[in-house]
Order: sequence, then C-alpha cells, then structure tokens
Amino acid sequence: MLAYDPASNPLNNNEWAFPLTECFHIGAMAFSIGTIVLVDLRLMGLGLRRRTAAQLLADSELWTLGGLMVAITTGLLIFSTDPKAYVRNEVFLFKMTALVAAIVYNYTIHRGVVTGVASGFTRTLVAGASVVLWCSIVFAGIFTAFI
Amino acid sequence: MSPADFFQAIRDSWLATSVRESALLYPIILSLHLTSIAVFGGMILMTDLRLLGWALNTTPAAEVIRQLRVWKRLGFVVMVTCGILLAASKATDYYANPYFQIKITLLLLVGVHALVFRRGVYGNPETLDSAPAMPRVAKVAACLSLVLWLGIMSAGRWIAYYEKPRESQSTRTAGAAKYS
Repeated sequence: MLAYDPASNPLNNNEWAFPLTECFHIGAMAFSIGTIVLVDLRLMGLGLRRRTAAQLLADSELWTLGGLMVAITTGLLIFSTDPKAYVRNEVFLFKMTALVAAIVYNYTIHRGVVTGVASGFTRTLVAGASVVLWCSIVFAGIFTAFI
Repeated sequence: MSPADFFQAIRDSWLATSVRESALLYPIILSLHLTSIAVFGGMILMTDLRLLGWALNTTPAAEVIRQLRVWKRLGFVVMVTCGILLAASKATDYYANPYFQIKITLLLLVGVHALVFRRGVYGNPETLDSAPAMPRVAKVAACLSLVLWLGIMSAGRWIAYYEKPRESQSTRTAGAAKYS
C-alpha cells in the first residue's frame, strides 16, 4: 500500500493554499445552502411568493448542485491535510453522516414535496427539516475544529 | 485613551471575556456567523446573479429585491452581531490585524454601495424589469456587490492566519541596527 504523508500535501506547504481552499468551501456553502433555503422559505409560504416552489427549484437547482460539488471537492482537499485526525473526530463523522442524509433527503423527499402536491403542513414540515439538517452541517463544520 | 487602551477595554469587558473564555460560546457564535453567511449570504449572491441574468431568470428582479430585503436585513443583523462578539473577544489582536482592517473597510464600502445604488437600482426595482434589457447600472451594482462580499468573506478567513510580527524580534533588529 502506498504510504500517504500529509506533510507532502501542497495545502500544508503553501501559505495561501489552505485559507484559499477554505474561502471556496465557504462561498460554495453559501451558494448551495442559500439556494436550498430559498426554496424552503417558499415551501413555508415566505420569501419569493409570486413563484411556485417548483419554479424556484428549477430556477436555482444548477447553483445548488454547483455549490455542492465545489463544497465537496474543497472539503475533500481540506480533509486531505490531516485525514487521521478527521476520521477520529466524532463531530466530523456526524457532519459526514448529516451531509449524506441531507443530500439524499434533498434529492428525494424534499424534491418530491416541492414538485408534487402536499398539504401546507407537510410542506412546512419538510422545509423546516431541510433547514435544520443543512444548518446542523454548518455547526458541525465549526465544531469539528473546537472539539 | 489610546486606541490600544480602547480595544483592551473592549476585550476586558464582561461580554467579550465570557465569549473568549467559554468553551461553548465562542464556537456557537462562530457557527451562527457561518450559518447566516450560508443562508443570507446565499440570498445576496442570488440577488446579484439575478441582476446579471445568471440565476432566477423567470422571477422578476423586483420580486427578488423586494421579497428578500427583509430576510437579508435580518441576516445582516445576526451576522454582524455575531461578528462583533467574536471580534470583541479578541479585540486587541483584531484591531492590529491588517485583514480585519481590510474587512471593516470593505463593510463600510458596502454601506457606500447601498447609498450609491439606492436610486438607480434597489429603491425602484420595477424599472429594471420594464427596461428592454437589464440596465448597465444594475449589472455594475451586482458585480461590485459580488466583489465586496466575496472580499469580506475572504478577508474574514484570512484574519485567522495573520501572524503579528514578534515584538522581541523587532526590538532586537532595531537595537542591532542602532548599535551596529
């Protein structure tokens, strides 16, 4: 097996590389979570009310997907700077679990309710769960560094 | 009172000390700061992209600007409140940090941006939709907004990586220079 030494990782050897990667991670987070919450607000009857939630989803989903892809790519780069510490960090493991759950939820249940016909109560509940799920990932991201 | 005394007093205040010394309070406030960046920063980005014609194109620009205004204001208040608490807890380090100074300057420029483009863009957004094409002034406003906010976000991240020059070393260098 090839041995991997994080000390050889360019992200650990360049003054600018790591913070710049983090900036892309945060920017991509704003694109992905920002667009998802825009649809969630509409599901709750708030925000851009002159459009349907389905229209908003169709109008913003490419930015959501692009944001997620950049956030995951930069996340993997950040992970690569110290993989052993990350896999031992319980908050990080929670973050990864919540992330997988949130992505699956977003493209199955959430999408189904946005494009289908559900009661106002169901729509609010599904939107609320979405907001809580995505925000918990942000919290876990910060707490990974503080535990 | 010198600026150093002023920021020392802020750092020593009860609130700033609580934030700094609590194991939980600092990361919770930082998480709220980041969550508001995700939720409300996302709205700022989407508004800018709508003005540039790159996102939410079937939604009128006036709808995006008017209906998201209250949310962006709410988010701004949460973001800034958390930011002030975080900065106050390390006030003496922050005020001398060039990236913090850049961040504050850019935030002031956001205020200037809002004043400059209020009349032509944000205050009367219906004219943007009735125009045959998105007016250039709106696109300029959107580009500047993107540059300012992405700059603020980047400067904020870089604050954590600034190492202030060590005093002992600079004294030694100065001293060595003086006596050499």
